[in-house]
Amino acid sequence: MSARAGGPRRDTPSPAGPSQDAPGPDPAAPRRAPITLHDLVLLAALAVVFGFLYWALVQLWGWLQVAMGPFGDLAQNALAGGWMVVAPLAVYIVRKPGVGIVVEIIAAIVEVVFLASPVGPMLLLVGLIQGVGAELPFALTRYRRYGWGVFLASGISAALFNLVLGMVRFGWAGQDFFALRVGLQFASGILLCGLLAKLIGDALLRTGVLDNYAIGRAQRSAARRGR
Amino acid sequence: MSAAAFGRPLDVDSALHRRDPAVKLALVLVISAVVTGVFDPWTPTILYLLAAPAVVLAGRIPLGTMARAHLPFALFGLSLFTVNALTRQGQVVWTLGPLDVTAPGLEIGISLAVRTLLIGTLSLGFVLTTDGARLMTSLHQHVRLSGAFAYAVLAGYRLLEQLPQQWQTIRQAQAMRRPRSPQARSRPAARPIALPRSPRALTRASFTLLVTTLRRGERMSIALETRGLGAGRRTIHDPARLSPGDAVLTVVALATVTAVLLVTWRFGLLAGWGALGVFG
Repeated sequence: MSARAGGPRRDTPSPAGPSQDAPGPDPAAPRRAPITLHDLVLLAALAVVFGFLYWALVQLWGWLQVAMGPFGDLAQNALAGGWMVVAPLAVYIVRKPGVGIVVEIIAAIVEVVFLASPVGPMLLLVGLIQGVGAELPFALTRYRRYGWGVFLASGISAALFNLVLGMVRFGWAGQDFFALRVGLQFASGILLCGLLAKLIGDALLRTGVLDNYAIGRAQRSAARRGR
Repeated sequence: MSAAAFGRPLDVDSALHRRDPAVKLALVLVISAVVTGVFDPWTPTILYLLAAPAVVLAGRIPLGTMARAHLPFALFGLSLFTVNALTRQGQVVWTLGPLDVTAPGLEIGISLAVRTLLIGTLSLGFVLTTDGARLMTSLHQHVRLSGAFAYAVLAGYRLLEQLPQQWQTIRQAQAMRRPRSPQARSRPAARPIALPRSPRALTRASFTLLVTTLRRGERMSIALETRGLGAGRRTIHDPARLSPGDAVLTVVALATVTAVLLVTWRFGLLAGWGALGVFG
């Protein structure tokens, strides 16, 4: 598989891609490239694996949540970051606008349509909002910088969007433990969403499975420049 | 739910089975969005009492299946009820140690719990009567979803179907490589091995699952590209057609929700975000 790693890009332009700039020959160019079929299937594979792991987790989670009484619902905030980690991970790998949103929406479709998630189709909206939150800091760097700081910002931003969403859906702001919720939410966003995404992305990169995506091309061109 | 049932409808024919998947999805989304703005206990309860029998009858869903599938929604609802009953300000009805049960807490808790059951019932009605692949065809046709996106989701669906088996294979292979005690080694080879349940073992298996699935996904995308997907306009095999039944379903569902909202509003029972007492 990795034999064609150094070969020309085999990305085909997506028929519905809004930005139809010709894909440049520079393999590391991150901007203005439409999301290709090759990228979309990767996003679907990421969404499916994380959707499946979440689903397995939720099956165990339900009973625990009831057993913990009022704190069960707070623990949801502690885990919230983990539900969103796929968005910064996808942006890290594919490095194109909209990728974080698309992957969250595919994950939501998988969970709602194929796994019958207890949250229901509202998950599509939740995925959209969490995707926007996680992707925003990357968009502000114009999809060029992938240091720890940007992932940290991504975790904070995703947590913030999720918090506002929870206030609207469940009226969190009127509850006694609101400050605790906010704290847990941000800690979880930073650790389980932002920083974990970079750890998983770097580990995947070392396995070679990402050689044909933007992250692998960027690494090779960096290595060439360094030589 | 067994792994083989992911994304497959119940194997019967019913009024709900014959409806267009995109229309059903849109209705579930719209109704869920509307009830998300409601925080009184009455409106979701009335809607739930109307929706549950309607879904069971129109979808020909066996009661046992419906009851079993309710379990995760019921747990989620119970948790929402507990946290709201115990952590909201207002007139104290009852004291439980350091925690107070308040009247507004009870009302909002019941509302959110029943809302979960209502949305859960609608989702089950959708999932148990809809084929995932038909949904993607229908969305591609009626919502102009791009073909590449639709096929990527279907490729993901194919990967998903194989995941439980992959997961099992990886867990067993990793368990075989663990150093074993002499007693375990003397056991007959045909005996199944105990799978390790430590977080470390689960993390290792999850990462392996992620890597192998990404690899198989890439192979799939190359197969799709060599068949010319994403290279231009496509024709559709077995198109999804809208029927008068879809219009009837839409009108009946939306009219019912509107009528219930009007009734609870008329009797002064309807409450929105104002009930939370935080938005002014």
